[in-house]
Amino acid sequence: MNLPWDEILIGIALGAYTLGALALVIYFFSQDESFRKAGVPLAVLGCVAQFVQLAVRFETTHVWPLLNLYGSLSFFSAMSVAIYIGFAFRYRLWFAGGFVLALAAIFLAYGVTWYEGTMPPVPSLQSYWAKIHVPIVVSSYAAFLVAFVFSCVYLLKYYAARSGTGSTARWLASFPSLPQLDAIVYRAVAIGLPLISIGIITGAMWAHEAWGAYWQWDPKETAALFSWIVYLAYMHLHTRHAWRGLRTNWVSVIGFASIIFCYLGVNIWISGLHSYKV
Amino acid sequence: MTAAVRGLYGDFVRTFGNVLFAVSLFVVWGVLTLLGVVIDQGRDPNAYFESYAAPIARAILRLNLDNVYHSPWYVGIIGLILTSLAVCTFKRVVPARLPALRPVKIESIPLHACFEAAGDADTVRNRLAEFFASRGWRIRERIFGGIEWSFADKHNWARRGVLIAHAGFVILAAGTTLYWARGFSGEIALLDGQTSQISNTGAVIRLDDFAYRIAPTQTKSGMVYQPIDYVSHVTVSGKNGIPARMTVRVNHPIDIDDTLYYQASYGFGMRFSVTHDGRRDAALSRRTLLEGDSFDLPGSQRSVLYERFAPTVDKQTGMPTADPRVNDPAVVLGVSDGGAPLGEALVPLGSRIDLGGGWGLEPQKYVMYSGFQYRHDPGVPLVGIGAFVLLTGLIISFYFVPARLYVRVDDAGAHRSSVGLAATTVKGYDVFESEFARLVVALKANNL
Ligand code: HEM
Repeated sequence: MNLPWDEILIGIALGAYTLGALALVIYFFSQDESFRKAGVPLAVLGCVAQFVQLAVRFETTHVWPLLNLYGSLSFFSAMSVAIYIGFAFRYRLWFAGGFVLALAAIFLAYGVTWYEGTMPPVPSLQSYWAKIHVPIVVSSYAAFLVAFVFSCVYLLKYYAARSGTGSTARWLASFPSLPQLDAIVYRAVAIGLPLISIGIITGAMWAHEAWGAYWQWDPKETAALFSWIVYLAYMHLHTRHAWRGLRTNWVSVIGFASIIFCYLGVNIWISGLHSYKV
Repeated sequence: MTAAVRGLYGDFVRTFGNVLFAVSLFVVWGVLTLLGVVIDQGRDPNAYFESYAAPIARAILRLNLDNVYHSPWYVGIIGLILTSLAVCTFKRVVPARLPALRPVKIESIPLHACFEAAGDADTVRNRLAEFFASRGWRIRERIFGGIEWSFADKHNWARRGVLIAHAGFVILAAGTTLYWARGFSGEIALLDGQTSQISNTGAVIRLDDFAYRIAPTQTKSGMVYQPIDYVSHVTVSGKNGIPARMTVRVNHPIDIDDTLYYQASYGFGMRFSVTHDGRRDAALSRRTLLEGDSFDLPGSQRSVLYERFAPTVDKQTGMPTADPRVNDPAVVLGVSDGGAPLGEALVPLGSRIDLGGGWGLEPQKYVMYSGFQYRHDPGVPLVGIGAFVLLTGLIISFYFVPARLYVRVDDAGAHRSSVGLAATTVKGYDVFESEFARLVVALKANNL
């Protein structure tokens, strides 16, 4: 099926994210407000274009668009930007937007390389659970991406502050303090962890219906369980004052690596019931 | 209790009640879980020797890493986590999250403010109580050593969030154990028209027919034969003995006496016409073999394996194609002699192949079979409740920050009072810093 709108909207999103990333990265280093003013509308434009694209695609093909890696990665990048925009408006955090947009652009571009056209879903994916479970899980990944970006900023500030003097110190001082950055990461994980828990639970409910057992120790399930355990460790370490900060932020970085492994590594390298092959 | 036992008990409680110990257990749990993702589970021992160097393959098999999720390590680590969770809940979580009302040293709490207000102590205390109550704080007053303290709590109920999350995990673990103790599961493959009885339940199930639908779809990288439906029509009779016709599809299992039956797989059963010195061998020719079945040729060391069905063979190349619809079918056979493989052959239906020693074979007729999984799991409701409780606990602990204000008002003479105010939360001080600052500004603006 020829879907010109689809390609135009993806093109708009990719362009907006790339330019927006550029503007906001410059803003990060220069703190020149005009770059922020250029970057913010681009982030919003790209995000809106992506959601419209997904909706148009569903409307024209009648196939739930998140069931292949192309649609799923597209939703992942859109949700990452959407969650980030929510955070940025609420807590005034545009300074890190360049990194979120750059990651969103990379994941979206990578998703496009998996585009195969429209296919009817295999029997196990023909379920209303696909419309519940998949968006929830992918949204949790997106929340962890946002946590990851702020953890990186935390670590950058932490290590740079230790060695920085003069202008570097003044530049770093304009960002939120380390405890504030840590609290932002905690808030993002506090969105991601319940979402991935709901994702695992709804996945178990779906599996109960599709495969006969709510838990089959399929590589995808177990990789998600692994990520859940990493973020559970994060939450528990966060209750300890001495561990809050540097170490919990490293755990958040490891957590996101585990998410990427669960999301892409398992689908691409390890075959199981969840690989998109059948 | 002797001193030694008491010492040991103390060590146990200290270790298992330590959050960092729990996190170390999580790390081990995580590593074991990850090993199971990376190492293929439940394969034939030889497969590990093919995939890994011999010492690694031996270690995988000896350490049960080929079946890690049911290994003593895995069950043991979950047991340790549950023990740690129980100890920690009573020794740490309850005292830390549900602290008794008690006086504090205002100045030594990082979030504190001290100021003077007009009016004697009782009046100021009442005004403060009204101020906090109007903003949703719950006020309690206590006297300690003759000094009156006011305590204001927000989201006090949410202090139980962690307890609820922990209880959820315990319920979930109990639910999974119930399956191990009382549940069962299995698989059956039924040929079209075949009837079978499930030994665990006594239910009788007959496959009336099985069908599948394929949608050939042109994609960017070529033609893909996408399966879009697998459907089995069955006649079943459960405990009541009344036969009922039902349909089993993927995502639509059937329930017979609390045991669920799912559409799990399908395949092609095959009838072979086997001849010896030109005469048909009736016994061997009567059987229907499933993919993966084999039979021995009497009086020889040879055996024939029906490896798989190839639904469509390309007429030009003579090779099987990816099309799963039955167009020009063939079978892939493997022949071995005394256990040593002699070779493989692709034999179209209706063609004869010479197996040597006077034996000949012809794939004659295929019959579809449907594979079902069945499972009776009495733990499902408990697992469901556990998951729900766990999730509720997570949401309560993450989204509601219980905070407590400690208020002490003392007469400062001349109708003035000194007010000391301190705040604590279950998540440290940073999360409450700005709200506390706003509260102090509002108090001063209200002349308190
Ligand atoms: C495996 C399942 C577990 C789950 C789902 C779980 C969940 C939670 C959650 C959601 C919190 C609140 C975190 C926050 O407020 O930021 C928490 C805190 C806590 N958990 Fe767990 N937990 C588990 C296991 C354990 C274990 C095994 C221990 C044993 C040491 C433990 C000890 C604690 C402690 C001490 C706190 C903090 C209490 C405080 O300092 O106020 N948890 N847990």
